[in-house]
Amino acid sequence: MKRIPISRCASQLLAPSPLPRRPLCPYAAAKHARRSIVPHSHRVQARFQSTVAVPDEGDLELEMAAHSGPASTSHSRSEPLPLESLPSPHPSAAERSTRLHALRSRLSLPTRFPLQALARTLVHPSADANPAFNNASLSILGRQLLGYYMTEWLLCTYPRLPMDVIFAAIEAYIGPKALATVASEWGIEAAEEPGGEIDSGLLQFKRIRTGDDLPAALRRQAPWKWNVTTTHKIMTTDEFGSEDAPPSPHALEKTPVPSEEAAQAFVRALIGALHVHLGSPLVKRFFRDHFLSRHLDISTLFDFRTPTRDLSHLCAREGFESPVARLISETGRLSRHPVFIVGVYSGRDKLGEGAGSSLDEARVRAAAAALKAWYLYKPAEVTVPSSMEGALDTSTWRPNYVDCGEVIV
Amino acid sequence: MASKRPLRSMITTASSSQSLRPTQTSKASMVRTSACAFSSTASFRTPEHETQTADRPRWQQTPARMVAPFRIRPEAKGGVFKVNEDPRRLDEVYVRMLGPGGDKVLGDEVKWLAVTHKSFDHGRRGFNDRLAYLGRRIVELQTSQALINSPQENQWPRDANGKPQNDEFGRKPYLHPALNGLQGLSDEAEGLVLNRARLAPIAERYGLDKVTRWVPKRADNLKGSGIESVLMTSLYAIVGAVALERGGEVANKIVQDKILAPLGFSFAPDPYPRYV
Repeated sequence: MKRIPISRCASQLLAPSPLPRRPLCPYAAAKHARRSIVPHSHRVQARFQSTVAVPDEGDLELEMAAHSGPASTSHSRSEPLPLESLPSPHPSAAERSTRLHALRSRLSLPTRFPLQALARTLVHPSADANPAFNNASLSILGRQLLGYYMTEWLLCTYPRLPMDVIFAAIEAYIGPKALATVASEWGIEAAEEPGGEIDSGLLQFKRIRTGDDLPAALRRQAPWKWNVTTTHKIMTTDEFGSEDAPPSPHALEKTPVPSEEAAQAFVRALIGALHVHLGSPLVKRFFRDHFLSRHLDISTLFDFRTPTRDLSHLCAREGFESPVARLISETGRLSRHPVFIVGVYSGRDKLGEGAGSSLDEARVRAAAAALKAWYLYKPAEVTVPSSMEGALDTSTWRPNYVDCGEVIV
Repeated sequence: MASKRPLRSMITTASSSQSLRPTQTSKASMVRTSACAFSSTASFRTPEHETQTADRPRWQQTPARMVAPFRIRPEAKGGVFKVNEDPRRLDEVYVRMLGPGGDKVLGDEVKWLAVTHKSFDHGRRGFNDRLAYLGRRIVELQTSQALINSPQENQWPRDANGKPQNDEFGRKPYLHPALNGLQGLSDEAEGLVLNRARLAPIAERYGLDKVTRWVPKRADNLKGSGIESVLMTSLYAIVGAVALERGGEVANKIVQDKILAPLGFSFAPDPYPRYV
């Protein structure tokens, strides 16, 4: 790691900072203030009036004294770095943070899960660029774990779901907004400005200044392919079927990010940290308790354009008799609010039924209901693939139903 | 109601992994408009004689009612692309990829489904999108774990005495054996491992390019038509199919031994796996 001499750091701090667009909190002001200026008494009092953890510079002094590297300058020997100039809190401050203790017990995590690991998951790369102190790698691992567990559950529980609905369901369960909601439900609060002096239990990330645009790394890139197919999305982009691949967490080291992105990175990093520290059985239980317990009505995620044509092709593919729509009952045909109930039949068996205020509407709704009945097939009991990982008893395994795919028109 | 019973039985009997075509026919008095009956239950229909059309599996033929009597579109430029129809050649490829007994790992329909791209037969015989989606999640997770466990330099630079050194802010991170190897995990590293140019030759070595069923844009220019992407889809789909039919343990082993090992990762045989 290349060590920046302290003198260069100091010169950056001494440079006049541009006028902020909104009033800075006293801590941010103190960070940008000159080192040589003694803080006024009212500012000192303001510091101790807030709820941040009392900075303990004793540890830092010991560290500096023990350090015998050639790059240390006389500045570091005589005065230890103030905590405000650190990008993130010291790992030893994690033990003193009540927020972290409370978070760990609120999530019912065992006490052998170290608080320093929990503290690391709260540091976004935009706050601290050092990969050993931020949650970038952990969030990559956690994202893949979440994606795997969610996908296998969804595919085993609803084996016939079309690909678009799978994308939407995965995004609803573990997408960016869902994870941000989960983080706020867990009681995660974010710090205004990252720094070494804040509580370790706060979510730390560099905020976008009000009025600024979204940074280029997070904006959608112009698609290089004019025709992005579903299979291309499956193989090349992310698990939600986005048009472009998401930015790598390590690439967000210098960019300000929205709070949703930081919260999502935290949840993923927490899953990753639980996996490396506590093992996968606990992660599976955690996933079941916090993500599978969330209810999603998948039948609302469908959006058919021509359900009658789709149903006709489906019946042809499966070898059923061609679907025929028949009027079951009606009322008020010549009035202002007629109601028609139409059923779609294949031979003598009714596939679906729909009600509408016109014959066409009722027929289309009936076809959509029939398609939903097909696609939302749910086997009674499923064993997910990950239940066999490291399992001693493989007799409980039941092979899952593999569907051939949605109907292509 | 009587009409609800066959619907329920259609849904429950579809849970078997066999072909969905039932064996009973409809009543002889009704006009036969389809190759087989809608309902597979014999509860209230009188059992008729077996249908004369053989119950061919889905992978073998396009459904009869979806085929036009003659072709209207012009012939494809670049010639007609011939796909494999022989189950034995497919079995050979599976044995080459999954080892001895590899042709018994998956069921018959799923074996063909895993190597069928969406472009084949306009998706009428099924395609491997969903399997490839699950397979990609498994492969990416196993790659991450392989990157974490791969031999790399220390988690944190240490000085001559073995003590961890300070960074430019004079601090040391929290060091724990469980966090070893995380510095090797990044999206760039994964992209270097799992890219098309490296995975396609592995798939070709197993012979997947000979049995994958797809329709290229130009049969004389397979690379320009995207055969690498199609091969990757097939590879991931086989992993996904094994996971759904045989479980995650078998699928993880296949990813480690048959995909990551050829890419350069080594896995010690671990009788007591710590992290799965």
